[in-house]
Amino acid sequence: MSVIRALYTSIALLIPFGVHAQTFPNKPVQIIVPYAPGGSTDLAARVLAAKLTEQWGQQVVVENRPGGNGFIGMSAGAKSKPDGYALTLGTVGDVAVNPALFPNTPFSMERDFTPISMVSDAELVLIAGKNTPYASVQDVLNAAKAQPGRLSVATSGMGTMPHILLEWMSLVSGAQFQHVPYKGGGPAAAAVAGDNLPLGILAASGVASFVKSGHVKVIAIMSPERSKNNPSWPTLIESGVKDVGGSGWSALFAPRGTPPEVVAKISADVGKALKADDVIARFSGAGMEAVPTTPTELATRIKKDRESFAAIIKSANVKPE
Amino acid sequence: METLSLLLYGLQIALSWENLLYCFAGCLLGTLVGVLPGIGPVTTVAILLPFTFGLGPAPALIMLAGIYYGAQYGGSTTAILVNIPGESSSVVTTIDGYQMARQGRAGPALGIAAIGSFVAGSFAVFVVAYFSPPLAEIALRFGPADYFSLMVMGLAASVILASGSLIKAIAMVLVGILLGSIGTDVNTGAIRFAAGLPQLTDGIGFIVLAMAFFGITDVLVNLEKSKEQHVANAEIKNVLPTMEDLRVSAPSIARGTLIGSILGILPGGGALLASFAAYMVEKKVARRPANFGSGDIRGVAAPESANNAGAQVSFIPMLTLGLPSNPTMALMIGALMIQGITPGPGVITERPELFWGLIASMWIGNLMLLVLNLPLVGLWVKLLSVPYSLLFPAILAFCCVGVYASSNEPADVYIVAVLAAVGYALIKFDCEPAPMVLGFVLGPMMEENLRRAMMISFGDPSVFVTRPISALCLAATLLGLIAIAIPSLRRRRDAAMQE
Repeated sequence: MSVIRALYTSIALLIPFGVHAQTFPNKPVQIIVPYAPGGSTDLAARVLAAKLTEQWGQQVVVENRPGGNGFIGMSAGAKSKPDGYALTLGTVGDVAVNPALFPNTPFSMERDFTPISMVSDAELVLIAGKNTPYASVQDVLNAAKAQPGRLSVATSGMGTMPHILLEWMSLVSGAQFQHVPYKGGGPAAAAVAGDNLPLGILAASGVASFVKSGHVKVIAIMSPERSKNNPSWPTLIESGVKDVGGSGWSALFAPRGTPPEVVAKISADVGKALKADDVIARFSGAGMEAVPTTPTELATRIKKDRESFAAIIKSANVKPE
Repeated sequence: METLSLLLYGLQIALSWENLLYCFAGCLLGTLVGVLPGIGPVTTVAILLPFTFGLGPAPALIMLAGIYYGAQYGGSTTAILVNIPGESSSVVTTIDGYQMARQGRAGPALGIAAIGSFVAGSFAVFVVAYFSPPLAEIALRFGPADYFSLMVMGLAASVILASGSLIKAIAMVLVGILLGSIGTDVNTGAIRFAAGLPQLTDGIGFIVLAMAFFGITDVLVNLEKSKEQHVANAEIKNVLPTMEDLRVSAPSIARGTLIGSILGILPGGGALLASFAAYMVEKKVARRPANFGSGDIRGVAAPESANNAGAQVSFIPMLTLGLPSNPTMALMIGALMIQGITPGPGVITERPELFWGLIASMWIGNLMLLVLNLPLVGLWVKLLSVPYSLLFPAILAFCCVGVYASSNEPADVYIVAVLAAVGYALIKFDCEPAPMVLGFVLGPMMEENLRRAMMISFGDPSVFVTRPISALCLAATLLGLIAIAIPSLRRRRDAAMQE
């Protein structure tokens, strides 16, 4: 009896695998966001979810699980059923910085997640207040070298991409800065605009209005290449700070063990959604670029970023304590 | 004159059928989610966000703003009826509002809250219209040292709030600060006092704290009392405020409105500080026989006016600096950005239809809320005549649902249970929860800004006295402390409390 039952069970388990990709999705799909509503990751998730709902004819729902440096949401995503109905939108901070920053994260990218596609990418910039004498990366570095550790730089928080880039810039250039973390990019941008401190590394979208109003000036873009939208901003690399470059990206993941056909289908459909004109327009409004990739491309990017960030975090001795 | 014509222009936009409809939808939804626990304004706005993609920026923002201030109205309703403040800024309302409800005066309390909010909202509209650019510039100049000193002043003043022992009030503020320090430290990223629980790494949520220390604790305290007392409590005297109520409250509404309009400019603790400050001022200036703490209508009128004025004025930092005062406003910024509008100093001149349309719609929305809420008062009051044996399980269930739904986190419900036990013990020791809430909300902000100010000044503490705003706040605090410390003045304080 038990043998027959086992046989039945295995057949029952096998059948859906074949038809999964054709029928997926046949019920609502959830996207877990490890951040509170309102941030750029949440916005990206909501824009993508609305488009996928349209494409699939099934509700795609965003579920915010904020807290604990993204650990709560990432853990929830890792523990979800691997059937493609519970996806997780993690950021570069969640998947490439935190594993290097925290000695024991409650999830493991290799053990728990399968990459699907990159989703959004946001440019970061180095800004200075309008009353500061700095006009170029060299000015900033010279000032910092003249008074080591006496030049304050605002970032959106401890262990965020801007923080990592600040440490990286310090390591490569030898200039030392005072890192002043804020609770998010908005307050940090206002602090630089209000002359509370001279410098900031922040999302380009968050400082755009202060740049326009003349409260702050952009010194450099933190990406490895110049921006398509603002080609006049120099990169750090061309200003002589070798190799330093990065941006704030987010990507979609499924729990490890999700059938490969389903992952491939989601990746293809997400790619299609991210190429839609209205999605591109909404992303760009929020200061992001839609950047679909294949699962393999995403895996490579994670590996590359993680290795370089781990080295920076180790050399700069960044510790959450 | 120019501002007036721009306001009229805004009125034209807000009075279009489409915008009126979205304004009404927002106010209605906001009132509903404010009253019903289980789904708060943040969740509502998040769910409706994709729906706003297809709308223009003005109707989208008008509707979302309606949800925001509508929920504030709704939050006061639960604070008065069942002692559950929906937001930190309605904590003060529970002090006298809930006492009024227990004396059968829930109707006047709700009525005066609605009227006060309307008056405050109408005044705040003009503040936003006339003073947005200069006020934004002031908010921008507010540095970490200034924030720190303002928080110090707020906390020092909060002991006046307590009607009982001074020592206990100070102790409760300190307990609040300690509870607030649970979670991730912004400056270093270190996780403090989380007891290894990942659910505590972001600290205790305000909703969790409010449900535990107000809602559930109060149910426990009530259950101890005999049945007769509840019956007496439910006796309804009148449904709407009397002329006498209005006359007594009018100056309080005016003062609350003014305080809210000033403090609302500060992103973060603005509306909360405003409601506390308004209450303290009322206690100080009351000349007529006062019974604050046991159901004085002025103790509802002033903070309710202050928090509504504060909530509206907080649109200034949001629209002109991109600084949200709370998660709902953060979502509104998101909604604007998706429409291709980045809040910032240029938004008033670049998108006049949005800015003036929103301002005018806020006034219309406040009117709608008044019309919507006054008839509802009778309904809410009837709710209180439901036997307590039926009411309390419902309150408990709503508390649990509300806590769970605000974070999707089952552990929060357990944290509420633990905190409610603590809250019950504190009530038994005659320790009031209101000063603790102030410590809980302001303490972490105070620490964050103290350390940030010291980082920026490279360890030089003189910034706190060389910056004018900071120096002024610290001087006021010092004067207040001296007043408390000198015994003769202290007797006067006690006498003031006895009134």
